[in-house]
Formats: sequence, C-alpha cells, structure tokens
Amino acid sequence: MKKHFTIICAAAFLLCLLVSGESASRKASGGENISIKDTAGRSVEISLPVKRLVVLTSDALEIIRALKAEDLVVGVYSDISRDPQFWPELKDKSRVGNWKGLNYELVAELNPDVVLCYTQRPGRNMESKLEPFGIKVIRLDFFRPGKLEKEVAVLGRILKKEKEAMDLIAWYRNNIELIQKGLKNISNQPHIYIEGDSRYHTAGPGSGGNEICVLAGGHNIACNLSIPYPEITPEWILTNNPDFIVKTTTKTTCGTSYSMADALPLKRIRDSVMNRPAWENIRAVKKNKVFVMSNEIWTGPRAIIGAGYMAKWFYPHAFKDFDPKKLHKEYLERFQGIKYRGVYVYPEGDGQ
Amino acid sequence: MKIESNDICEQYKDIRRKKVFFLIFLAVLLFGVALTALSQGASSMVFKDSVAAVFQDSGIAHAIIWELRLPRMIMAVLVGFGLALSGTVFQAILRNPLASPYTLGIASSAGFGAVTAIIFGGSFYSEYLIAGSAFFFALMSSFFILSIARLRGSTPQTMILAGIAIMFLFSSLSSFFQYMGTVEEVHEIVFWFFGSLSKVGWKEISVASVMILLPVPVILRWSWDFNLLAAGDESAKALGVNVTRIRMLGMVFASLITAAAISFAGVIGFVGLVAPHIARMVIGGDHWFLFPASALVGAVLVLAADTLGRTLWAPQVIPIGIVTAFIGVPFFFYLLMKKMKEYW
Repeated sequence: MKKHFTIICAAAFLLCLLVSGESASRKASGGENISIKDTAGRSVEISLPVKRLVVLTSDALEIIRALKAEDLVVGVYSDISRDPQFWPELKDKSRVGNWKGLNYELVAELNPDVVLCYTQRPGRNMESKLEPFGIKVIRLDFFRPGKLEKEVAVLGRILKKEKEAMDLIAWYRNNIELIQKGLKNISNQPHIYIEGDSRYHTAGPGSGGNEICVLAGGHNIACNLSIPYPEITPEWILTNNPDFIVKTTTKTTCGTSYSMADALPLKRIRDSVMNRPAWENIRAVKKNKVFVMSNEIWTGPRAIIGAGYMAKWFYPHAFKDFDPKKLHKEYLERFQGIKYRGVYVYPEGDGQ
Repeated sequence: MKIESNDICEQYKDIRRKKVFFLIFLAVLLFGVALTALSQGASSMVFKDSVAAVFQDSGIAHAIIWELRLPRMIMAVLVGFGLALSGTVFQAILRNPLASPYTLGIASSAGFGAVTAIIFGGSFYSEYLIAGSAFFFALMSSFFILSIARLRGSTPQTMILAGIAIMFLFSSLSSFFQYMGTVEEVHEIVFWFFGSLSKVGWKEISVASVMILLPVPVILRWSWDFNLLAAGDESAKALGVNVTRIRMLGMVFASLITAAAISFAGVIGFVGLVAPHIARMVIGGDHWFLFPASALVGAVLVLAADTLGRTLWAPQVIPIGIVTAFIGVPFFFYLLMKKMKEYW
C-alpha cells in the first residue's frame, strides 16, 4: 500500500514538472522581453510575441478587433452572449468571467499570456493569483477619450500590431481634429445636462461623460461638482436651465443598440424625460433639445462618435457637413469588419 | 381608599397628558421640519419667496414649489409615516423588538424586485416597472412568510426566522444579479438601494398614499387588541382577541405599507426598526399613543434626513438611506443609553 502510494506521488510530481516545464518553456520561447506601463501606472514585463489573450471587457475586445488581433483571443467576458450579432467570430470563445471577476481555474486552463481588464476592477489580488501560472495582467480602460490613444499604442506594441494601432490612432486623431476645427470659432458654449440610466444621476468631473461633453464643446453643468457620478436634485437642473439634455441609456429592445431595429425604446425614454414634473420650464425641453444616446457610442472606444453627434447637436451650423452616422459606419466596417446597423441616437436630427 | 383611587386617576391623567403633549410636540416638530424642507433648495429663493411661491399660480418658483419640493416633502412624510407604522405593527404582532421590514426580508425582496426590473426590464424599463416589481416581490415574500407560519402554526418566532431566511435568500439573489450585471446596471442597482426621493411626483404620491393610508384606520382600530397581544397569545385569546386573524391581517397590511414605501423611495427600512423604538422609549407601549407617535417620529426622521441629504452637500444629494442611518442611529443610541432599563 505504502509502495503504491509512493509511486503515485512520484508520478504526480513528474507530471507536475512536465506540465509546468511545458508551460514555462512556451512562455519563455518568445525571445523579446518588453516592459510596458498600463493605465493603472504599473510596469509590466511581457515576453513577445503574445499569442493567447483573455479579455474581460468589451472595450478592450473592440480595440483588439480593430487591431485585427481577434485570432489571439482565447477567452472572453461572459456578457458577450448578450450581443452575438456584434461579435459573430468571438461569441463562441470560452467565457471566463466579467469586468468584476473571473474564474481563475478556467483562465489557468486556457493558459493565456495576458489577461486584459479595467484599471480598477477586478481587484488587485488578480495579479497575485495569476502570477504562479505565468499569466500577466494588463489594465487598460479604453473608455476615456484622453487616454485612448496611449492605450491603443500600448496594446499595439504588446500584440505586435503597431501598424494597425497607428491606423486606428490616426483615424481617431483625425476625427478629434475635425471636431476641434469645427469648434474653433465658437464663443458661447451651450449648457448641457447629462444623465445616465438612473434618473438625476449625472456625469461629474472625472467621469468619461464629462470628458466627452468637453470634447464636443459643451459646458457640462455638473463639471464643478465633487464626485464623478453624483445624484443631484431636479430643482438644481431647473435652476441651471440647460440648453441641451443628453440622456444616455443601455436600455434597448434586443440587448444592444447594434441589434435594435427601430428607435421606439429611445423615443419612449425621451418622452419620459420631457414629461418630468416642472421640466417644461427648462430651455432644453421648451426648444426640444433633449437627445437620447445609446451607451455604446457614449463611452468606450466609440466615444468619438458620441462626441461627434453631440457636437452636431450643439453647433448644427458649424457641423453641417459632418456626419456622425457616416463616421460610425466607417468605424464598424473598416475597423470592426462588421456591417453598420442598429439605432444609437434619438432624434437623429437637431430635435426640431 | 377613595383618596388612593383619585391619586391613581390623577397619575393616569398626568401620564396621558404627557403622551398627548409628546404627540403635539412631534406634530409641531414635523411642521417645523416641513417648513424648512419647503424653503430650502438649490434655487436662490429665500424663505419669504418660497412661501409666496406657494400662492402664485405660474412661473418657475411656483413650479419648483408645487412640482418638486411639495411632492418630495409629502412623499418623505408618507414614507416615514408608513415605514414606522408598519414597523410598529410587525413588532406588536410578532412580539419581537427585532421585527422590521429588514428582518422580515420584505426590504430585501423589494430590493430584489427592483434589481430584476433593472436587469431584465429591457425596453419596458421604467420607474413604474421598478416600483411595481419591488412591490410584487415584497408582497410575495410576506405571503410566503405567512404561509410558512400557517403550516407550522402561527408563532412569532417562526415568522421572524422565516423572515431572516428570506432576507438572506433575496440579498444573495440581488448580489448574484449584481455580479452578473454590466457596469451601468450595477451603478443603477447601487443607486436604487441607496434610496432617493428625487423621482417622485404627484402621480407617485397618489398611488403611494392610497397604499399607505388606506390600512391605517383598521390598524388604529386594533390598538387595544395589540395592547392585549403584548401580554401573550393565551391572555389575548382569553380576552377575546382573534390572535390568528389579527396576526395574519396585520402582516398583510404592514407588508402592503412597507412595500409601497420601499418601492417609491428605495431601501430605507431602517426607519421601520428605529422609529417605533424611539416612540416606545418616550411614551411607552400603549398602542393608542404608540401608533401616532411612531408614525410622526418616522415622518420627522425621513423628512429631516431628506432635507439634510439634499442641502448639506448641495447640489449633490447624499442618498436618503445613508442620511437616515446617520441621524437615526446616534439618536437611537442616545435614547438606548439613557433608558438602559428594560423598556420593551
């Protein structure tokens, strides 16, 4: 009995050595070692080439596809099942968790070189849990317009897709410049009230929404508050009397805006905003300047499209030749390799 | 002998007078807090303008007072009133100082209802869907507790235990959905759990007032029965109280009130635990006085919390669920320390 036990232990030990040796040799076989700084401010050592990726956020996955590196993805976030039409080639990959947490066992089994996730979530113990498996964690957000270019460059470097990264950055920069050019001679900034899905929760300083509003040339009435996503009173909104109201939403008929066929859900949301008690006194409501925008183009890699829509709403004369829908179509077809479809804003025009 | 009887009579009248005085004090306090609530806000209106705006028939000031501040104030009073009243009923019929919308799982199930609507509402998503779903689950859980109690025999302990089990079940289910949710959904769920009165208008008030105020006369009529129930089921039965009926209907009414309050204002069930105790510490356990006193304490607590929440850090709102605990807990501790002797 004792002899059998010893043999089993020895066999198990050898097996462990073999498995870990194989894993270590595969990870060490790359040659080039680089050190990158992610958005969390940490330096991460990576062996190139990166061949296997686990991606916990849709934002990162979108950039990976834009860099034509989707073949490297071996594991994805579980919510991908909500949007199968947007992710036809990735929807069937192993689902390992989401932006808040992941199944470590599953990830270890997939044996990726790198796990991509947000700066803040999942918690920092993820690095220590994945380290014994030789898996690196890189934290890149891809939802802040101000940091997007740098993050794309970092990812391009890691994936050896520098050219594709430069293409995306150039396209992005080009469009930002286009918006900035349109805003050059603007003197009076309109006052904007931004609201997320929850009523009376706005986008304060430090939020992606505030950045996008600034990018579109609007003056966010909540820009001087103290926290990123505060609740404010309807009375304060009434007192500030915004010129425009932009309500962003994740609520759609078929899970996502990409698969949505008509604008009815967005129209319904707009109607309920315009019919709130006492809001008939707000300038934006009086002049029909209430817009609903899908979250898909609000923050994340497509925020530039959301900003484009906003700029056109705020300054229709300065942006009369600018077509955000065309921009969106170009992005989806050129960088994502999928057809343009869906409903993203309501109303499409200037609200009149 | 006659002199002693007169003394007792006088003492009784004196105690009664003190209780009436406390009720008047609470009513005046509520009026004062209501005036403050009505005159404070983000706009530059001073007290005089606010009062004048009540009597105007147009303009922004009129809209602010009539469409925003008044509905908010009335809803705060209604919610506080309802939660405190239902907490008192729960504590009376279960003869347990720990009974409250929280410990009976009603708050958690309402929360779960809201979470379900947020996650699965899709294009039907609306504030009414959230409130309706919260209400449905709150009622469902209270009926569940009732049916369990019926199966095992209607003892207060069974109900409390069943309530705690329900609380854990629905909290876990909510956590599960939160875990599965997107960033935006999690934000929304967290905000809902904080509680808010920003969303209420006259339409919500009309629904909430029917649900909260309709059972009140019946509950008040049972005050004497609740007093007898405090002496134990057997004594109450001996004195002609239909204990099973009163316990069942009491649960139904209190659940209805709680569900209405929580579905429109979010999870601020803490008021339902603390307000009855505060009132009981001051005026004792006679339900003739305890019900109105507890309801008034609840109304003052929620209205004061909401007014502080929206003015202390204006224009940002500190969620009402947080402020209620901030001002309620220290005050509760103060009374608890002062009245260390058994008051229950």
